[in-house]
Amino acid sequence: MAPVLSVEGLSARYGSVEALHPADLALGHGELVAVLGPNGAGKSTLLRAIMGLTPGSGRVRFEGTELPRDDPRAVTMRGVVLVPEGRGIFGPMTVRENLDLGAYLLPGRGGEFAARLEQVFALFPRLKDRQSQLAGSLSGGEQQMLAIGRALMAAPRLLLLDEPSLGLAPRLAAEILETLGRLNRAGLAILLVEQRAPLALKLARRAYLLAVGRIVAEVTPDQIASPHDLARYYFAA
Amino acid sequence: MPETTFLIQTLVSGVGTGFIYGLIGIGFCVIYNASGIVNFAQGVFVMLGGMITHALLTRAGLPLPLAALVAVVAVALIGVVIERAVVRPLWRRNATMFVMILATLAAQIVIERLTLLAAGDQPKTLPGFSDAAPLRIGGIAIGVQLLWIAGVSLLLVGALALFFARTRTGRAMRACAINREAAALMGIPVARMLGFSFALSAGLGAVAGILITPTQYTAFNVGVPFAISGFIAAILGGFGSALGAFAGGIMLGVAQALAIVLFGAGFKNVAALSILLLFLLARPAGLFGKAH
Repeated sequence: MAPVLSVEGLSARYGSVEALHPADLALGHGELVAVLGPNGAGKSTLLRAIMGLTPGSGRVRFEGTELPRDDPRAVTMRGVVLVPEGRGIFGPMTVRENLDLGAYLLPGRGGEFAARLEQVFALFPRLKDRQSQLAGSLSGGEQQMLAIGRALMAAPRLLLLDEPSLGLAPRLAAEILETLGRLNRAGLAILLVEQRAPLALKLARRAYLLAVGRIVAEVTPDQIASPHDLARYYFAA
Repeated sequence: MPETTFLIQTLVSGVGTGFIYGLIGIGFCVIYNASGIVNFAQGVFVMLGGMITHALLTRAGLPLPLAALVAVVAVALIGVVIERAVVRPLWRRNATMFVMILATLAAQIVIERLTLLAAGDQPKTLPGFSDAAPLRIGGIAIGVQLLWIAGVSLLLVGALALFFARTRTGRAMRACAINREAAALMGIPVARMLGFSFALSAGLGAVAGILITPTQYTAFNVGVPFAISGFIAAILGGFGSALGAFAGGIMLGVAQALAIVLFGAGFKNVAALSILLLFLLARPAGLFGKAH
């Protein structure tokens, strides 16, 4: 059975700067894999390159079929959904409008739409209470819940998340990541980019370590007992 | 000093012209919101609305309502052609605002000249939409065409508000305006929304042109002055706010009418540009815009 996601020699550049050197990675069905690395390591670029948001070369296969390299909409239509860095919520629109737009590709507003909405509200009850509130007026944690909820409205078969804990208090960050764990246990494949390695390693079975635009190691959580272990890999790069 | 009745009469006609400026200003906003592009070909939509209706009425013999409807659809399609042929190729390669303004201005001039070749340089007008006598309130006469302008404009503004708030496409266009990349990640066809915004904006411009022509005239070269007035209306409203552009249009129409009465016809444009400067210096975010 083909892996859910298979990345071969994927590189990306901003102008003349190669932000991601050819990278290989794979993600199996129902797996939650973390991508860890310091600031500027190329973690966001990796996700952007997978989605076709940043130009580059290499191959990305989803469920065995190659994804287009320059059409993020087509990638989303195939079931790969990104919760971007900075959340990308539509601040001047209401929570409900944001969620509705998440299901943009779903024709009509029938039973499937209602079921997805219920699923999102069950995961994040706070969003249900704030449906008519402007998304920009939510707290940071609630905005992250909305960003994830909106991505779930698209019924992803693979969810990519770019630093969902960024800027959140530790307790809230743990709560968000625990929710991701629940989604994964329900069968959703997740590729999680995180700077807070301990949080991510509680959930992930494997992690890729990125430093200066290269994947420098593939590790299991038991190989990273302390921050020193991570630093050792990063400095070795 | 003009007498009060005359002054009120002038204000009423200023409001009428202001509705038209407001519609053109909304046209600017619709495209700007969907793409960040300032489309200086906006004026040709107004000119073509009047000219095509006139041609269909006089040459093809269509009744006025049908001629107007066909003209609006045709101008909306011309808007899509401009978007596909001129704007989208530049937009895809992230052309600067300056390049985009020049390109749309060039499109404006090309269409203007083609219209001159096809229809000549003589001004044309359209009959009023109905023959009823002007409405008289006190000593003030309100022409029936002005009522048509007010009614249709308000109806369109209401319909647009509903469209952007309630419909899937309207919401998707707002999402593109807020964050184009996030919109694409939701599966929203961002480029198609750009084409749609040109169709909508061109249709609005055509309606404005059809509404105003019976009270003035139209010719191949009326586009630029209308575009400038609509552009000023959009700036007064805080560029991007449809309601702001509409209010800005009314403000501009009234200011021009007052300037004509108080200082003479030559001061019409002085008033328009003075009010623009005043806003740019004192309130650059416009009537309803947030300071940024």
